[in-house]
Amino acid sequence: MEAVSAAQIIFIVVALLTVATTFLVVTVRNLIHAALWLVATLFGIAVIFVLLDAGFMATVQIVLYIGAIAILIVFAVMLTRRVMQDVGPQSNENWWLGTIVAAVFFAAISTLLWSIRWPALPGAVVGDTVLALGRSLVDPNQYVIPFEVASVMLIIALIGSITLALPGKQSE
Amino acid sequence: MSEEERNVVAPEQVPVADSIVARFGNALRTDDRDGYEGYVVSVESLKDVATVLRDELGYDYLSSVTGVDYFDEGKIEVVYHAYQTSGGPALNFKVQVDRENPILPSLVSVYPGADFQEREIFDMYGVSFEGHPNLRRILMWDGFAGHPLRKDWQEAYFEEENKPFDSRWPGGDVKRSEAENRFGKNVSYPDEFDIDNWAPEDDSSLYAGLNKSGSNGKKLKTDSLVVNMGPQHPSTHGVFRMVVALDGETITDLQPVMGYLHRNHEKIGERNTFLQNMPYTDRLDYLSSMSNNLGYSLAVEKLMGVDVPERAEYLRVLMAELTRVSNHMWAIGFLLNDLGAFQTPALYAIRARELILDIFEATAGSRMMCNYMRFGGVARDLPDTLRDENTVDFIGDLVNERLPAAIDELDRFLTGNEIVRSRCIGVGVLPADKAIAYSTAGPLLRASGVPYDLRRAEPYSIYDRLDFEVCTRSNGDVYDRYVVRIDEMRESVKICQQVMREIPEEGEIFTGKPQYNVRVPKGESYGRVENPKGELGYYVVSKGKTNPYRYHVRAPSFINLTVLGEMCKGHKVADAVVILGSIDIVLGEVDR
Amino acid sequence: MSPVIGIVIEAIIKSALMVFVLATAFAYLTLAERKIAAFVQVRKGPNRVGPWGLMQPAADGIKLLFKEEMVPAGADKVLFFLAPILTMIPAMVIMAVVPIGPDVELFGRSIRLGISDLNVGMLYILSVASVAVYGIVLAGWSSANKYSLLGGLRASAQMISYEIALGLSIIGPIILAGTMSLQGIITAQQQSTWYVLWQPVGALVFFLAGLAEVNRAPFDMPEAEQELTAGYFTEYSGMKFSLFFMGEYIKMVAVCAIATTLFLGGYLGPYVEQLPWLGILYFTIKTTALLFLMIWIRLTLPRLRYDQLMAFGWKVLLPLALANVVVTATATVLLG
Repeated sequence: MEAVSAAQIIFIVVALLTVATTFLVVTVRNLIHAALWLVATLFGIAVIFVLLDAGFMATVQIVLYIGAIAILIVFAVMLTRRVMQDVGPQSNENWWLGTIVAAVFFAAISTLLWSIRWPALPGAVVGDTVLALGRSLVDPNQYVIPFEVASVMLIIALIGSITLALPGKQSE
Repeated sequence: MSEEERNVVAPEQVPVADSIVARFGNALRTDDRDGYEGYVVSVESLKDVATVLRDELGYDYLSSVTGVDYFDEGKIEVVYHAYQTSGGPALNFKVQVDRENPILPSLVSVYPGADFQEREIFDMYGVSFEGHPNLRRILMWDGFAGHPLRKDWQEAYFEEENKPFDSRWPGGDVKRSEAENRFGKNVSYPDEFDIDNWAPEDDSSLYAGLNKSGSNGKKLKTDSLVVNMGPQHPSTHGVFRMVVALDGETITDLQPVMGYLHRNHEKIGERNTFLQNMPYTDRLDYLSSMSNNLGYSLAVEKLMGVDVPERAEYLRVLMAELTRVSNHMWAIGFLLNDLGAFQTPALYAIRARELILDIFEATAGSRMMCNYMRFGGVARDLPDTLRDENTVDFIGDLVNERLPAAIDELDRFLTGNEIVRSRCIGVGVLPADKAIAYSTAGPLLRASGVPYDLRRAEPYSIYDRLDFEVCTRSNGDVYDRYVVRIDEMRESVKICQQVMREIPEEGEIFTGKPQYNVRVPKGESYGRVENPKGELGYYVVSKGKTNPYRYHVRAPSFINLTVLGEMCKGHKVADAVVILGSIDIVLGEVDR
Repeated sequence: MSPVIGIVIEAIIKSALMVFVLATAFAYLTLAERKIAAFVQVRKGPNRVGPWGLMQPAADGIKLLFKEEMVPAGADKVLFFLAPILTMIPAMVIMAVVPIGPDVELFGRSIRLGISDLNVGMLYILSVASVAVYGIVLAGWSSANKYSLLGGLRASAQMISYEIALGLSIIGPIILAGTMSLQGIITAQQQSTWYVLWQPVGALVFFLAGLAEVNRAPFDMPEAEQELTAGYFTEYSGMKFSLFFMGEYIKMVAVCAIATTLFLGGYLGPYVEQLPWLGILYFTIKTTALLFLMIWIRLTLPRLRYDQLMAFGWKVLLPLALANVVVTATATVLLG
């Protein structure tokens, strides 16, 4: 058996912590605490990106997921919930249905992941990784179509939310 | 003093048209008690009379409402002073009600400005006002037993009815009132009182009255938040509390809660001799003690019928106008603080105020608690030198050079400032009709476009001889109140310049011989002055003794607050602070 | 000594130095602010502790250290404790990528005056800045106080809003320099000139959004004393309070340092080639000038109202920053 390298030890610890915090997200009773555990999970993923030498992805993960999405969740919870306490059941009568759906979905994804033969990496990107990433996003031979489609989708979402939030549109 | 002399100085009786007197028959009769004026109205027709006075005779401004407990006659009298905003003397009408079961119709629907004043009478005398929208205690706390201004109510440390008291050191034995108090030195509680399990009454009754339905008509159900701003809050200018119902950051309702500084000023005033009250008036609006003195002097001088020597009149006006400048400097500086400026404008504003306080100190002996005026004059003449300068030169330099420069400086830095304008214009708008109806006074009223200034409307002292403008603006927002204050400072400086030109070089400053215990003839009197913060009125009833039988202060800060909730609705929390700042209150005067 | 250990030791020493320098900068920044305020307001300011009040920060620190720590009855204890730390840490680590001088020779090694030089340096700054809001939000929420909650909400809304303008305003220098590394941006400015000349709009937007980001007047909404007593840290006392205080001032230093790097040429100045140590001096002077500007603005201007602030951020700064990006990108492509 090969010796475990330092990077692998770090990876294992971080992965375990990430899974543990994910578990906490759905089990803690306090909504704000749940949101904060979610932040911890997202941060764990960012660390994994760093371990993969994907510094750009790691910072983007933090800026977008922790700095924007999670803070909006916290924000929404603070705005809508009574200040400190959040009592009430954590699940409703359909919990078994949810469990089945989740289990099936998990099984499906696992099968998919196991069945794919992942291609070996052609080697680390040399030079400026950020530059290479930027080039590939606007290169017609690589990812320009998905990139543009995603942009258009985001614009649609943006316009949609503005339309929803416009005042004076309540009357049917 | 003879009967004749007093009649000379008694204010003109305001004639109500005979037809109207006839219309009400017995319900409206002239008050014929010795030294009294005005009319006595029956309880049933009070509201009708008030409506007729307002609508047909133009008495649209209710200055003051207050109660008097005529213990010997078993009556409580409620006194109303109404004015025309076009100027002229008061119309004074009263209503009498039985002490045991006092119920009166509320005049809030006719004069909304009666709101807080009726609550105060309810609090202090136990008179119930039927039809009052929110009849709760206002100055005392809700659990308080008794009505403090009734003559049969005595406080915890009660010693005697009237001052001066007997010696507390009879025969060398010290008698301490705390020894007679069952709480001792306030460190132990009675046996039945359990501090650990004591819970203060909640404020649910207060919160219940709040309009929290700001989000009505929206699909989204939102929760409103009730925030207590104060009593410990940096921008309530003292211990003042605003209970604010918020929808997001927008105010749906606002209730002022006051009385944290209540010391029963008026009860103390009834126990003091007439002259002993003078230093107490300093503590009302402690930023403008000179003007407070002046109002009280006018009220008592009206009863006594004394004249004030020429030089003293000029000195009084000089002091009152300097007070106005220093007060407005303070008001503007701290309005800017409420806008979030970090003290800089405030410190620039009160830099010039220091010099004014120097004059006060050199003349009256104190910078803020001046205690300067006396019945029939002033206490001291100007000193010869001030800050190693000739006093007249010093004041002349101040009013001719330094104050105008300081005002111009404020004007230059603040009036055009983009942030000041965007925060103030259109905020806290008070239309003219509402400003009159709510009995607002001072810069608040004039910024709404009502040119009502007592110095012109009902001139006192020597104001009829002086040349100055009544400053008004038309929009009635925070910005206009600020501009009116700037303009008023300029006019005050103008008055001070005239005073320094025209003041008699020499002359008496006091009529008669100074005495500790003045005898004041029987009667009632209402003296009012245009204080920097608004109309300050004193209602004094004398029974011919050395102590006033009733001593009431119509505090402009207190009555101006009536309209606060109205002005704040629909604005943001940050605006509430600014609107409060633009009213310019002093809690010493609000709570009394 | 293996090279790895050498690098680690160097990093540790530099980090410790950075923490020390920032803590000192915080202490004397508070004194400077009070002195400047006094100067502006015709007062004397602190002058009792040491000569010219120079020991005042130490006295304040000792006082705060010994103050009673209070925790409100309804507070969420863990988060209440965590919030000041979460405010403090991002403020400290954000400076890690800012170079404060050119490389210097010391003990036979070439030492970079700056802890690290990431190729995604600018993104790193943005990510740390976006995390900084957590401390404030959590402080507001965990105090169980309505003022704190309102302050926390205001802070999060404000910081999220202005982060967008902030992020867009730094794209200009990135496009011009062609790199996200701060060292690279300085090198690029060495070849052309200070970017404040090429990017005046970007620099203005960055400074204004930076003011809002660190909650300084006239955008000091979250802690608006006149409205919310002290906003999110109303319930904090003693050392926890001073951590917030420290976080705020160090963030000020960081924003000014980053602005210096992006727009004012960082450590560049005459003779810096010959005498690399001069770089630190230039960097300090430029940063201090910006700090003085911040303090000056605070002493002069009243505060905007919350809705005006949001409107300014979304309707003025954001379009301005966007337009700046478009213009810069187009011009770069067209002119090469």
